[in-house]
Amino acid sequence: MQTIRLKLKEGVMSGVAKIPVIVDSLTPDKLSGKSEAEIKAVKVWWGNREENTGDLFEVSVEGEAGSAEEVKVVMEGDLTRVKYIGAGMKTGEIVANGDVDMHCGALMEGGKITVKGNADCWAGREMRGGELIIEGDAGANLCAMYRGETTGMTGGKVIVHGNAGECAGQYMAGGEILIKGNADILAGLNMKGGKITIEGDAIMPGADMTGGEILIKGKVEDMIPSFKFVETTTIEGEEYRKYTGDLAMTEKRAKGVLYVK
Amino acid sequence: MSELLIKNGVVYDPINGVKGEKKDICIRDGKVVEEVKNPKVIDAEGMVVMPGGVDIHAHIAGGKVNAGRLFRPEDGRRGLRPRTKVCMPESGYSVPNTFATGYRYARMGYTFVMEPAMPPLAARHTHEELIDIPILDNAAIPLIDNNWMTMEYVKSGDIDLLAAYIAWMIRATKGYGVKVVNPGGTEAWAWKKNCDLNDAVPYFDVTPAEIVRALAEANERFEMPHSIHVHGNMLGHPGNYEVTLKTYDLVKGITPYRDRPVMHATHTQFFSYGGTTWRDFESKARAIADYVNANEHVSIDIGSVIIGDTTTMTADGPMEYSLHQITGRKWTNHDVELETGSGITPFLYSGKVSVHTLQWAIGLELALLTKDPWKIALTSDHPNAGPFIGYPILISMLMSKRRRDESAKEMHSVIFDRAELPSIDREYSFYEIAIITRGMTARTLGLHEHGKGHLGVGADGDVAIYDISPEERDAGKIQKAFLNAKYTIKGGEIVVKDGEVVSAPPGRTFFVTPECESGLMDEMTAKLKEMFANYYSVSLANYPVQDAYVPNPYEIRAPWRS
Repeated sequence: MQTIRLKLKEGVMSGVAKIPVIVDSLTPDKLSGKSEAEIKAVKVWWGNREENTGDLFEVSVEGEAGSAEEVKVVMEGDLTRVKYIGAGMKTGEIVANGDVDMHCGALMEGGKITVKGNADCWAGREMRGGELIIEGDAGANLCAMYRGETTGMTGGKVIVHGNAGECAGQYMAGGEILIKGNADILAGLNMKGGKITIEGDAIMPGADMTGGEILIKGKVEDMIPSFKFVETTTIEGEEYRKYTGDLAMTEKRAKGVLYVK
Repeated sequence: MSELLIKNGVVYDPINGVKGEKKDICIRDGKVVEEVKNPKVIDAEGMVVMPGGVDIHAHIAGGKVNAGRLFRPEDGRRGLRPRTKVCMPESGYSVPNTFATGYRYARMGYTFVMEPAMPPLAARHTHEELIDIPILDNAAIPLIDNNWMTMEYVKSGDIDLLAAYIAWMIRATKGYGVKVVNPGGTEAWAWKKNCDLNDAVPYFDVTPAEIVRALAEANERFEMPHSIHVHGNMLGHPGNYEVTLKTYDLVKGITPYRDRPVMHATHTQFFSYGGTTWRDFESKARAIADYVNANEHVSIDIGSVIIGDTTTMTADGPMEYSLHQITGRKWTNHDVELETGSGITPFLYSGKVSVHTLQWAIGLELALLTKDPWKIALTSDHPNAGPFIGYPILISMLMSKRRRDESAKEMHSVIFDRAELPSIDREYSFYEIAIITRGMTARTLGLHEHGKGHLGVGADGDVAIYDISPEERDAGKIQKAFLNAKYTIKGGEIVVKDGEVVSAPPGRTFFVTPECESGLMDEMTAKLKEMFANYYSVSLANYPVQDAYVPNPYEIRAPWRS
């Protein structure tokens, strides 16, 4: 097991404007097998400038790893403008201690990311596999598609302990999302596969969905009218009304399932 | 004085009848000359040398191209290349940014591209984008067919006044000729209708057939370098080949001012369909090619399909709506007051789908069944049948029967029942490729008289050098060579070396100034003033594109034919 600690230097975010740092090059699979000096030389973008990791982060490495799977990257400091944490990662583990900026876990294929705070928009965008845990709230477009694309998350598992923003799981085609708090408007918009569980409340869930399922344990505000009631069913000892839809997408394509109390 | 000598290359220069001869090319101060004294030397031993490519039809600039970019952010995330010391950043695949458009064409050895659909009211936007496209010389053809003024003159039958209007419009837009797109149909679309060739256009009560004939006659009132450039009626509808042939027949008998066709029928693949529905859809490329073989008044470009994702965009609004109804994908539509309209929708050409497979076959069949390559140009109607970056694939298909057979095997089996392609053995030579990508296109556009598309003395120093042996028949190697030229030289300057852009000078914009006698012009202008006062949202004085929008101009004067 190897732990790589990357602490954002205080000076980096002390300017008048906080210039974002993009760290998709700092995933366990990309850092595996590198010495401390080599990690310090890995390039990251800081605004429109390419910098050495060592110039922006305090880097320390503990232990040895036989493979990327055994590498754990711990990110510390003010991460509110640190983007693309764990983007595209394939294996290993990342722990981000604090609130993180957009695109955390975007295009992730494997491994595990834990955010010990809030994650801004687009967390888990187009995620293909692995596990993403957000201990605070998630911003808008959680696990959604890139703008204009028609496929969002296709695999993996995401847990949000707090609330999720607008359009969680838009165009989702596979995988699972568990939102322990509330989901803002249009969770599962255009969803075509996979599963979203919302333990809190939701607004207009499942609009334009053609597949997959959404289960809402709390209240549903502005239920979409173009869903068809099927039956009352019991899940984990609780009674739910099961609907299919969205019929706005034509009856043939309306294969989505909504469970509402 | 800068001099360049390209030594030992095997030169294909169809306009000058040079069929793969070992020949030196001398360039001084941007022009081809007889000899040079103290030149920089490029050794092209064992390589293929051609004039810079001339694309007759590719939607590279203007309102709808830019709308396509805005409308497809997912396309913009493809084809990314960061900024370099020479180049601005590239993005996009089917709707590349302006920079990528210039660099990619240059890497393929092209030095001139025609934007074939400029909405007159959006001419400024089109020119602004042309300014932003590096390297390429360019021109744009304004849409004149669905225009209210045009239709009124067609109705009154006054060809001379129509010619005066054309002259004014081409001058006002700094355009190159007369473009026709679904004549009458785009105007009818504003009434939620479409037009077949002999249907009356709502309100105006003229037929598309009358519009095409009148515009062809009016165009020949001048010494125009190019014929009318026609996208006909019923594009993309099964069974439309009959309409296509009737459209070609409309202009038969009109005398061109010089030795060229009187109609260029564009992206003919979309107009060569048999059958009555998509179920019994079949290729009618043979019927079209037979007509073109037997007649001299029509030239065509193939508009060949490149399998994969693309963005379709055309002034043919009703066609885009039908396409959107088929695919269910996003769609946008636009009206240009009094003049034209447009629509955009993304499209995926798949080799697993029978209709797409046949469309793919039809484009290639047109090229292979048309006997005289001087009548046909290589295009993909970028981006409608596929992005221009796929030209090297099309070239390799035309040059290799084996490659076509291999591709056909992987596509929908319908290709063996309802297309002729699998039974065609013809393979294009490098010389014929040079014709359909340079010689024919330059000559049809009349640009050969202005230094484009050939390497004779006095021509522009635009040269493409491909690192491939003239004997090579391997499709993969051909495709690779045409995708990234060893050298592209533009106006005597090396702009691409080893497939990388090393210099990106601005291109020039070619435009035509038709000259009309003042009496006719005054009579037409009186009506035009009325039209602007009554209907346009801009004033006549603010309409014409100022010279500042064409910072690197090349003017071609087109006198009235006496």
